[in-house]
Amino acid sequence: MTELNQLIQNQGLALLGPQWWPLVWTLVWTLIKIILLITPVMILVSYYTLAERKVIGYMQVRYGPNRAGFWGILQPFADAIKLFCKETLIPQGAKRAVFFLAPALTLVPALLMWAVIPFSPELILADINVGILYVLAISSIGVYGVLMSGWSSNSRFAFLGSMRSAGQMISYEVSLGFTLIPVILLSGSLSLKDIVNAQQDMWNIIPLLPMFVIYFISGVAETNRSPFDLPEAEAELVAGYFTDYSAMSFGLFFLGEYANMILVCFLGSLMFLGGWLPPIGLLSFIPGIVWLAIKAGFLMFVFLWIRATFPRYRYDQLMRLGWKIFLPISLTWVFLTAVGLHLFGKV
Amino acid sequence: MAVQLPEMNLVLLSPEILLSLVAMGLLLMSAWSGKESRGLIGTMALSGIVLAAVVLAGLSSATPSATMGGHFIDDRLARAMKWLLLIATALPLLMSREYLNQHGLDSGEYYVLTITSLIGAMAMVSAGSFLLLYLGLELMSLSIYVLAAYQRDQLQSTEAGLKYFILGSLASGILLYGTSLVYGATGTTLFTAVANAIKTAEHVSPVLVLGAVLVIIGISFKVAAAPFHMWAPDVYEGAPTSVTAFIAVMPKVAAFTAFFRVLLEAFSALHVHWAPMLQLLAVLTLAVGSLGAIAQSNIKRLLAYSSIGHVGFLLIGLTTGSQLGHQSVVFYLANYIFMSVGAFCLVLVLNRQGIGDQISDYAGLAKKRPLLAFLMSMFMFSMAGIPPLAGFIAKLYVLMAAVKAGLLTLAVISVIFAAIGAFYYLRIVKIIYFDVAEQPFDMEVSLSHQIVLAISALIVLVVGIFPGKLLDWSLASVQSLL
Amino acid sequence: MMVVDVIFYAFAAVTTLAAIGVVSSRNQVHSVLFLILTFFSTAALFVLLEAEFLAALLVMVYMGAVAVLFLFVVMMLDMDVSDLKAQAINHLPLGLAVGAVILLELVVVLSHSHAHVAAASTVPNTLAIGRTLYTQYLYPFELASLILLVALIGAVVLTLRERKKVMRRQVISQQIARTRSEAVELVQRKPGEGA
Repeated sequence: MTELNQLIQNQGLALLGPQWWPLVWTLVWTLIKIILLITPVMILVSYYTLAERKVIGYMQVRYGPNRAGFWGILQPFADAIKLFCKETLIPQGAKRAVFFLAPALTLVPALLMWAVIPFSPELILADINVGILYVLAISSIGVYGVLMSGWSSNSRFAFLGSMRSAGQMISYEVSLGFTLIPVILLSGSLSLKDIVNAQQDMWNIIPLLPMFVIYFISGVAETNRSPFDLPEAEAELVAGYFTDYSAMSFGLFFLGEYANMILVCFLGSLMFLGGWLPPIGLLSFIPGIVWLAIKAGFLMFVFLWIRATFPRYRYDQLMRLGWKIFLPISLTWVFLTAVGLHLFGKV
Repeated sequence: MAVQLPEMNLVLLSPEILLSLVAMGLLLMSAWSGKESRGLIGTMALSGIVLAAVVLAGLSSATPSATMGGHFIDDRLARAMKWLLLIATALPLLMSREYLNQHGLDSGEYYVLTITSLIGAMAMVSAGSFLLLYLGLELMSLSIYVLAAYQRDQLQSTEAGLKYFILGSLASGILLYGTSLVYGATGTTLFTAVANAIKTAEHVSPVLVLGAVLVIIGISFKVAAAPFHMWAPDVYEGAPTSVTAFIAVMPKVAAFTAFFRVLLEAFSALHVHWAPMLQLLAVLTLAVGSLGAIAQSNIKRLLAYSSIGHVGFLLIGLTTGSQLGHQSVVFYLANYIFMSVGAFCLVLVLNRQGIGDQISDYAGLAKKRPLLAFLMSMFMFSMAGIPPLAGFIAKLYVLMAAVKAGLLTLAVISVIFAAIGAFYYLRIVKIIYFDVAEQPFDMEVSLSHQIVLAISALIVLVVGIFPGKLLDWSLASVQSLL
Repeated sequence: MMVVDVIFYAFAAVTTLAAIGVVSSRNQVHSVLFLILTFFSTAALFVLLEAEFLAALLVMVYMGAVAVLFLFVVMMLDMDVSDLKAQAINHLPLGLAVGAVILLELVVVLSHSHAHVAAASTVPNTLAIGRTLYTQYLYPFELASLILLVALIGAVVLTLRERKKVMRRQVISQQIARTRSEAVELVQRKPGEGA
C-alpha cells in the first residue's frame, strides 16, 4: 500500500511539478474519500427504500416488491433506471434555475452531514472537534430545498406544501437541538467521537431517556415522515412541495429524504445508544461498526414501524406538540442535566 | 479545567435581579390566570418596585466599585439615579391602572414591559462599558416601543410605536456604530479602559472622535435633543397617555446618566471636542422646544415640546463640565420627574373620551374644579421656571453653572428661550382661569390619582421653598464623577 | 499556491458575486436566495479562519432561522419592486458617499488598529468563546437574554388577537380525560323501532 502511494506521489510530482502536484493530490484524494463515503450511503438509501416497502408490506400482510430479482433484490435498480429514463417535466411559469437547484439543495446537505459521522473510532471522513454543531448547522440548510421547490413550481399545492414543511422543519429543529444539548453537557464535548467515548460506562439513553424519545419523534417530524408527513399529505396537497417534480429531479428529493432518515438514526445511535460501543464488555470482540449498524438498523426499522402504525397528525396538533410539549420538556431537561452535573460534582 | 471567574458581587445587583424575577413571575401569572386577577398583577408590579427600592436602600453605602468584569459600576451616581428611575416608574404605573381599565388595555404584559424597561434603564445607569450601555438602552427602548403601540386598535398608537421603533433602531444603530469605532480605536469597550487608552495615546485619532460623536448622537436621539427630536411629538401624542407620562421621564433619567458615564468617564479627555457639540445641541434643543410649542393645540404635543425644552437646559448643565453643572443636572432631573408626572396625571384625570386632548378643552376649568386648576397652573408655573417653585431653582442652578463655567452667551440664550417658553405655559393658565367653561368637568379623581398628584405637588412646592436637602443629595451623587 | 488559498479565493469570489446578486437581481426572492448564499460562503470563510463556532452560528441562526423567515415573507408578499428600484437610482450618490465614508473609516481603523490577533492557543475557539461568555461577559449575556424575552413578549402582545368566536377548539387534555361513561351511552333498541 505504501509502495503504491509512493509510486503515485513520484509520478504525480514528475507530471505536474512541485508547485501544483500537492494541490491536485489533496483535491483528488479528498474526492476519492468522499466517493468512498457517499457510495455506501447511496446504496444504503436505495436498499432502505426496498426495506420500507418490504417491511410495510409484511405489516400489512402482503409481499411487497418481489419481481425484480430474487425476493425483489433488484428493485432499487429498477426504480433508478425508471427515474433516469423518464422525461423531466417543467411546469409552465416555473422559475427554471431555482426549480432545478431545489432538489440538489435537498440532497446535498443530507449527504454533507455524513462527512462527520464516525462509523468507528478510526472510520471517519472529517474528524472535526465541533461535529455535532456542524450537523445541526447543515441540517438547518435543508429547509431551503423545500422552500425553493415549492416557490419555483408555480403551483398552489407545492407552495402550500413547502410552507407547511418549512414551518414544521424549523419548529422541530428547535426541540431536536435542545435534546442534544444534555448529551453535549454530559460528555463535555462537541466532537461526535468524544461523545461516544464518554458513554463507555453508561449509554446516554439511561439518564436521558425522555430526551431520546423526543429526539426520535422530532427526527421523524424533521424528515417529514409519517405520521408527520403533512407537507406531502396526498389527500390535500397531492404530493406537497414536489408535486410538480418528475423523473430524476423527483428522485433527488427522494434520496435526500431517505438519506436524512438514515442520518437521524445513525446520529441517534451515536448520541444516545453508545455508537460503536458494545452493550457489555464481553461482546467487544464484535467490531464496533457492526454494533453501530445494529443500533442504527433498529432505529431505521422503528421509523418504518411508526409509518405503518400511526395515522397522520393535523397541522395544529403538530405545532402544538412541537412548541407546547417538546420544547418545554427538553428545555427543562437541559436545566435538570446542568443542575445534576453541578450537584454530583462533575463540573 | 478550572475556569477563572471574574469577581462577581451579586449583592450589588440585587435590585435588578429582584425586578427580573418579578417581571418573569408576573409574566407567568398573567399567562395562567384569568381576567379577574389583572388588578392583582398591577398591585404586585408596584409592590415589586417598592421592594426593589427597599433592597436598594438596604445596600451598604456606595463606595465606587466595579463588578461583573467591570461591566457593572456601583457608585453614588448609580444609586441616586436608580432612586429616580424607581420613582419615575412607580408614579406613572400608579396612575395608569385606571386608565388601562377604562381603555381595555389592562393586561399583565403592560406591567411586565414597564418593569423590563426599568431593568434596562437601571442597567444603563450603572453601565461600566459601552456594551452594557447599548444592551441596557436596547432593553429599555424595546419595552417602550411595545408600550407606545399598546393601544393597537388605535391607528395613532400603532403609528407612534412604529415611528418610535424605526427611529429608535436607527439611533441604536448609530450608537453601536460609534461604539465599534471607539472599540476599533482603543481595543476595549470598558469606560475606564477607553479613558486610559485616550490618555496614553500620543494623539487623538479621528476615528475615536467620530466614534464619540456617533455615540453622543445615539444618546441624543433617546433624550429627544434637537435635531434628533422629530419622533417625540408624534410619539407623545399617539401613545396611551399613561405610557406618555412614562416615556417623558424614565428614559430621560437613564439617558442623561448615560451621558454622564460616556462623557465624563470614557471621553473626559475629549472635553474640548464634545463640549461645543453639546452646546450647539443645547441651543437648538432650546429653540425647538420653546418655538415649536407655541403653535400646538394638543396638550400632549405641547408637553412633548416642553420636555424638549427641558432637555435643552439639562444639556447646558452637562456642557459646563463642572461639578456645579453636574449637580444641577441631577437636581433638574429630580424635579422634572415630579413636574412632568404631575402634569400628565392631570391630563389623564381630565381626559374623557376624546375630550381633553385639546388645550381649549380646559377652558374654564377653574370655575368648576378650582383645586385641579390650581394644581395645573402650579405645574405649568414650575415648568416655566417661576419662583417659588422647584422648576425655578432647577433652572437657576443650571444658569449659575453656565455662568461660572464662562458660558455667558449660552446662559443668555437659554434665558431668552425660557422666556418664550413661559408664554405657552402661561397661555394654558390663562385658558384655565379666564376662558368660558364649555365642559362639565364632572370626573372623579380616584385615590391613586390623588396620591400621585399630592406627591408631585408637594415636592414641586417644598423643593421650591426648601431646596437645600435635594441640592445636597444631588451634589453627593455627582461627587464620584471627575 | 496552497489549497487553503484556492478555497479562500473561491469562497471570497462567491461571497462577493452573491452580494452583488442580492442588490442587482430583479426578482426579490432571488435576492434573498443570493443573501443566503452570501451567508453560507461567509461561514465558509469563518471556517478557514478556524472560527468554526462562528461559522456554525452563522449558518444556524442566519441561514437556518432568520433568512427562512425572510424568504417566507418575501415569497408570500409577491410585491413589485421595480418602482422602488427606479427610485433607488436617485439615491445612488448618497449611497455611494456613505459607502465611501465607511470604506475610508475602515481603512483608517485598520491602519491604526489596536486589535491583536489572538495568539494561537491550544483551546478550541468554541471552548474559548464559552469561557469568556460565561465569565467575563456573563452580565451582558444575561441582559441580552432579557432583551430577547422582551422581543418575544412584544411580538405576542402586538399581534395575538383573541378571537371571540372560535369555531371548535381542541383541548387534548380534556379529550384524554374523558371516561367511557361520559363519552358513550349504550341504548337498547329492539329491531325495527329505530332511534
